[in-house]
Amino acid sequence: MNGKMIAGIVIILAALVFGAMTFIESNVEYMDFAKAERVNKKVQVKGRWVSDRETQFNATTSQFVFYMVDDNDKEMRVVLDGGKPNNFEIATEIVAKGRFKDGYFHANEVLTKCPSKYEGDGSAVQKSL
Amino acid sequence: MIGAIIVKIAFAATIAAMAFYYLSYRRGSEELLRLARTFYLTAAAGILAVAGVLLEAILNHRFEYYYVWNYSSTDLPLSLLISTLYAGQEGSFLLWGMFTAVIGIFLMRYSSRKGYEKELMTVYAAILACLVLMLVVKNPFKFIWEQFPGELLKAGEAPPAGMNFMWVDQARGLWSQIPVEGKGLNALLQNYWMVIHPPILFIGFTSMSIPFAYAVAAMLKRDYVSWIRVATPWTVFGSLALGTGIILGGYWAYETLGWGGYWGWDPVENSSLVPWLVCVASIHTMLAQRKNGSYIKTNFVLSLFCFILVLYSTFLTRSGVLGETSVHSFVDPGMWVYWLLLAIITAFGALGFGLLFHRWKEMPVVPVEHTLLSREFALFLGAATLVFASIFILIGTSSPIITNIIKGKTSAVDPSFYVTTTLPLGVALALLAGLGQLLWWQRSDMPTLLRSLRIPVLLSVLFTAVTAFLGATHPAMIIFIFASAFALFANLIVGYGIVQGNPRLAGGAVTHIGIALMFLGFVASAKYDDVATVNLVQGRPVSALGYTMTYTGYKPQERGRFAFSVEVEKDGRSFVVAPVMFRENDEGGLIRNPDIVNLLTKDFYVSPLSLEAGEQAEADQVTVTESAPVSAGGFTFRYLGYEFAQSAEGGNVVRAKIEVESGGKREVVVPVMNNRRGEVSFETATHSSGMTLTIARMNPVKEKDRSSVTLAVGGVHIHREAEAPAPDTLVVEASVKPFINLVWIGTGFLIIGFVITIVRRWQEALRNAAWK
Repeated sequence: MNGKMIAGIVIILAALVFGAMTFIESNVEYMDFAKAERVNKKVQVKGRWVSDRETQFNATTSQFVFYMVDDNDKEMRVVLDGGKPNNFEIATEIVAKGRFKDGYFHANEVLTKCPSKYEGDGSAVQKSL
Repeated sequence: MIGAIIVKIAFAATIAAMAFYYLSYRRGSEELLRLARTFYLTAAAGILAVAGVLLEAILNHRFEYYYVWNYSSTDLPLSLLISTLYAGQEGSFLLWGMFTAVIGIFLMRYSSRKGYEKELMTVYAAILACLVLMLVVKNPFKFIWEQFPGELLKAGEAPPAGMNFMWVDQARGLWSQIPVEGKGLNALLQNYWMVIHPPILFIGFTSMSIPFAYAVAAMLKRDYVSWIRVATPWTVFGSLALGTGIILGGYWAYETLGWGGYWGWDPVENSSLVPWLVCVASIHTMLAQRKNGSYIKTNFVLSLFCFILVLYSTFLTRSGVLGETSVHSFVDPGMWVYWLLLAIITAFGALGFGLLFHRWKEMPVVPVEHTLLSREFALFLGAATLVFASIFILIGTSSPIITNIIKGKTSAVDPSFYVTTTLPLGVALALLAGLGQLLWWQRSDMPTLLRSLRIPVLLSVLFTAVTAFLGATHPAMIIFIFASAFALFANLIVGYGIVQGNPRLAGGAVTHIGIALMFLGFVASAKYDDVATVNLVQGRPVSALGYTMTYTGYKPQERGRFAFSVEVEKDGRSFVVAPVMFRENDEGGLIRNPDIVNLLTKDFYVSPLSLEAGEQAEADQVTVTESAPVSAGGFTFRYLGYEFAQSAEGGNVVRAKIEVESGGKREVVVPVMNNRRGEVSFETATHSSGMTLTIARMNPVKEKDRSSVTLAVGGVHIHREAEAPAPDTLVVEASVKPFINLVWIGTGFLIIGFVITIVRRWQEALRNAAWK
């Protein structure tokens, strides 16, 4: 094995280790609110919007505030940096990415999952008759 | 009905073409070859006919077809109506198949002149067969009553007059009601990008299959050397088409979808970037192989991966495996796509890599004869860096699958993963893009290299110093800017020399100038952008980021959209931007489209967030706080406080004590709010003047003098005149993206460079008709 070969292998290994470390570090894990409260890192929580609680855009801080329950029915105040996400009201499921801060969940991104258009949704066809 | 039949005919013809091409290859029969060509042309005609039939159904609003009903509607303009042809899963496979079929006709003629037709077209027809198979399995001509039998199918008595219906089986008295309107195209897709972006992207996808087909054909022919020359023009064409498609997608996201930037590291974007990087890497190693004969196996591996990665990309974004980790809330297409795509990837992977394994031993090994200071080595390092970048992006994009396998739970990586991993590679790429142009083939001697490095390095240092002075002082950015500037100046100098000699050889220099400009644009516009959320009260100018913005009101536009006009002023020049917001449909979400002021050195990007209606002073309401009396309509209201009590029935009773002063007379009135197990009721109190007071809202606060109550006033008008409603507030996110034009100018150079290279390699391939 010559020097070039060794240098090549070292570079490849270094790149792989670097990639793996970055991967673990930036992997945004799924968890519920209870666990998210314990770990101090960016996580994502899946759940549903609580439509009958305070839901509003605060224009002074430009944050969107709403309540969300996770899959274990734990309710949490979520403060999102930015405006109301697209399709927020009709989403069947939402995913908030962020971290805990002073008793609320500070999200920098909220994804919405819309009702599937591929489902045999008979109500849509009846509307268009 | 006819469409579904043609799909099956086209599929059969494609299979026949593949079989006869293969037989003609095995037996060397020209007669079978002619038959194979006929079948291929029949298949291509069939696929075009399928598209024609579907297009006819869309244009004539034949909502008896589920696909037409699901993606189009009667209110779409012609261009968008045509684009619904590929708006859905089935249609996009049709578009892909259509391009594959048509490009195959050119490929057939080109490869026959190179003696490659039988092998190449066997593989290519197999690829086409898989795309058509998708249409056979997921038929775009499914009738709507097959989708909704419960809602639509009726039997027995004939339909009432005036109803839109079709007989399903007249003999058995079976009929179906037909919708008169379609569900329409997703509002996010309703703009001109939808007309041009998918076709270009799918031409890119199609052209990625050509290097794969050539690699397999070359291995079948045991031609490990000259296939490179035959395949290169197509590989560069693939990079051009896919690259253009990716950039257009980025521009779409920036200009219309309002992602705030042109790149979001979204799985859909990433998964087409990965095969592009690999394809570009293969251009470099092919060039090295032309020069010194080495990197034979590398070129096979990379060419095979171009197409396998396109298939994997399709699998990632279409099969639903990414789940809710993608911004594109893709719908779950069902298990059929999942397994079919997996089977296709496995089949082509096994074909390509199985053959490679089989031929591995007999491939000539050409010892690498160049030194570290040679252009070949720079090409190799550049390709290796591109491959590393593609691996990192691939791993990040596949993170939902990886975490699912390891932890049993899907989760994606944060976009920062891609920035962290690709930034060092970007620096390496930029340095190599400059260095490679200054190095000679085979070997360069150090003194000559140092001499040629002098000017570009000097210029780059100056350039970096200027940008640092302007504020780009982040250490990683200083390095990246220096490397990109070096690539730019080195290629400008080398390119100038080439253009003086033979401009047709300038492809490489021009492409690398484009890449360098794009890198500089990325740094400026993504790292040094300025963002602010601004509340624009109608008619009131607000200053932010050095601009003065005034919201002047909104105008309704076509198809239920609203444009919000904002006047933007800077240094005496003024512009009007009109970002758009609208509801997708009755129950749909809010769609926001940004608007941009394009300046030479920057973009001013205005993205709407919301419109807050001004609070209307309700004519007959008054809000009183304990500490502050309010006068209106000749009365002075003073809030003395509230009493809280339990009612006999077990509820709460709140009595608000209001002192009303009029004409020097004071009188206390007590409106009441009852709350019994969540049921709230009010008791109106009447003043001696006949004025009635009812509690509208209460805000009881424990702190002294802070409680307030809002009262609805009846019997008299307390406000002299109806006050003008308060103006609306438009909330926008404004951002300044410096030098974003560099990204677009760089893209232009990149495309021109690719075109120059294609022309050069094409002519070269045509001149050498001797390789058989």
